[in-house]
Amino acid sequence: MLIVDLVQSIVDGLLFGATYALIGIGFTLVFGVMHKINMAYAAASVGAAYAALRLIALIGGPAWASLLIAAAAGGVFGLIIYWLCFRFIPLSNPLATLMSTVGMFLLAEEIIVHTTDGMPQNYPVVVRGILDMGEFMIRGDLVFVFVCALLAMVVLLYLLYRTKLGIATRAVSQQPVAAQLVGIRLNHINALTFIVTGMLGGFAGALIGSAVGLLSPLLVIPLTIKGLIVTVIGGLGSIPGAIIAGLLVGMAENVFQYFRGVTERDIYVMLLLFVFLVFRPGGIFSNTVKRD
Amino acid sequence: MDFYLGLLQVMGVHTQLGLSAYVVLQTGQVSLAQAGFMAIGAYIAAMLTVLSGWPLIAALIAGALVAGLTACLVGFPALRVHGLMLVVATIAFTEIVRLFFFNFDYQIARGSLRVGPLGGEGFRQIRYFPENGWTTLHVAIFIWTVVALVMAALWWMDRSRAGAVLRAVGEDEIAAQSCGINLTAVKVSAMTAGGAIAGLAGGLYAHYTTHIEQSNFTILLATFAIAYPILGGLSSVFGTVAAVIFIQGFLVEGLRFLGDWRNLLFGALIVLVMNIRPSGLLDARTMATLRRLFSRKEH
Repeated sequence: MLIVDLVQSIVDGLLFGATYALIGIGFTLVFGVMHKINMAYAAASVGAAYAALRLIALIGGPAWASLLIAAAAGGVFGLIIYWLCFRFIPLSNPLATLMSTVGMFLLAEEIIVHTTDGMPQNYPVVVRGILDMGEFMIRGDLVFVFVCALLAMVVLLYLLYRTKLGIATRAVSQQPVAAQLVGIRLNHINALTFIVTGMLGGFAGALIGSAVGLLSPLLVIPLTIKGLIVTVIGGLGSIPGAIIAGLLVGMAENVFQYFRGVTERDIYVMLLLFVFLVFRPGGIFSNTVKRD
Repeated sequence: MDFYLGLLQVMGVHTQLGLSAYVVLQTGQVSLAQAGFMAIGAYIAAMLTVLSGWPLIAALIAGALVAGLTACLVGFPALRVHGLMLVVATIAFTEIVRLFFFNFDYQIARGSLRVGPLGGEGFRQIRYFPENGWTTLHVAIFIWTVVALVMAALWWMDRSRAGAVLRAVGEDEIAAQSCGINLTAVKVSAMTAGGAIAGLAGGLYAHYTTHIEQSNFTILLATFAIAYPILGGLSSVFGTVAAVIFIQGFLVEGLRFLGDWRNLLFGALIVLVMNIRPSGLLDARTMATLRRLFSRKEH
């Protein structure tokens, strides 16, 4: 029975881990392009899911539409964060943008609490049902989340590696000065990165809402922490790293929960991070070029 | 009156916490572990006075030493990475400490009461001050004496060779290294000093609130710890004090009449300040102007 339960929790964890991977990709993309961290990212993502919830409640619509609305709202929030927290602050001062995004994080969280009176809101379920596979059961909603997250990743990778926009983005992330010399407008690429990652985050926020079944301001801090851990384990700036690390963290979280209970599970996830920091500080896909 | 004295106590402990982050920030490292060190100092000092009956000063020093030692141990693996990786590593550390105390029970019977930390319920009955007849005024004076001593030490350090070494590492690691500065030693020392100062802040905090629990020492507190020196400016310890007065005095207490809207304004004002003054309220240029003004008066 132990093996069955263990495999079950690994599978559940892997499926839910896809959302962590999406949040991790958001952190890592902004880092890759600007070498800055956007602390407000997870807060804005959950905020976008809330915005979708509000809009659906207001004008009505099918549950799956909330995913698209959340992605659109996330893109808008991403642009707002870029303008308020990065555009007019000298990028040579790393502390200033860290602090401004922390301020934005507090603002976003507080707006959520303010508009919902801090009460958790039910999120519409997109897919119901359970796939019964003999000894195992696979939750339909988690499979849906996983498939959607994979789709989002494929779209993103296509955007980055097969379009002109993606080439420009990667050029900026490799060598901003040279990119500017060949006529790429840095501010445009930076803003676009924030819009794209914001859309990804909003989509992830809505997926998390549909998997958990509700949205709560209490999601924001754990999601920020898990997203950052995924980013570091995967290697800063590495998209494949973030995907694998996201699945790994989701899986580890569920396995530790199975063995040690819900109050202790996060201790072991953090210790996993320290294991990586000690033995593989560059992350899973560490770059040979050392950069901060 | 007691309200203002209470506010003074809060400001004292937060200034102390901000100063602990100030030392680490001087070396260019952003540490969100300060809340974790503060939790360790708070629990150790409170357990020593409540469970073992130690005198306050000895317990505070013991708490600071344990927190400093932990900072030293955490410093070695954590400082192999730097910049944003360190931010994440220290976030993880603060969460580990918080979750440890969430699962930590150690109670002994004293009279009819059971005292000591009890997991999620926290650590009640830290009654050193009331048992020994200290008034709120005494406590406020005591806290600010400790803060003033630490501030004086850091102010002196800023002017000594040690301060120059810290700032050299913070400005440009490679340049500092080529001047023969041992980067690891400098960073770990700064981390240790910061940990000890945060531990002291924790001990003070535990005794004036009489009740601590894991939810006091979250990432949010760690964020405040680095927010004070960054908002205040890193060129002087007075920047940290200015930021504590700005945040705790003006934003938290002064805007209380705004009700719920105050919290909204809080984040927005931080964003605004960073846009207007990216190097902090009292940046190097402002400090130089102030210094000129004061020296002119003397003539």
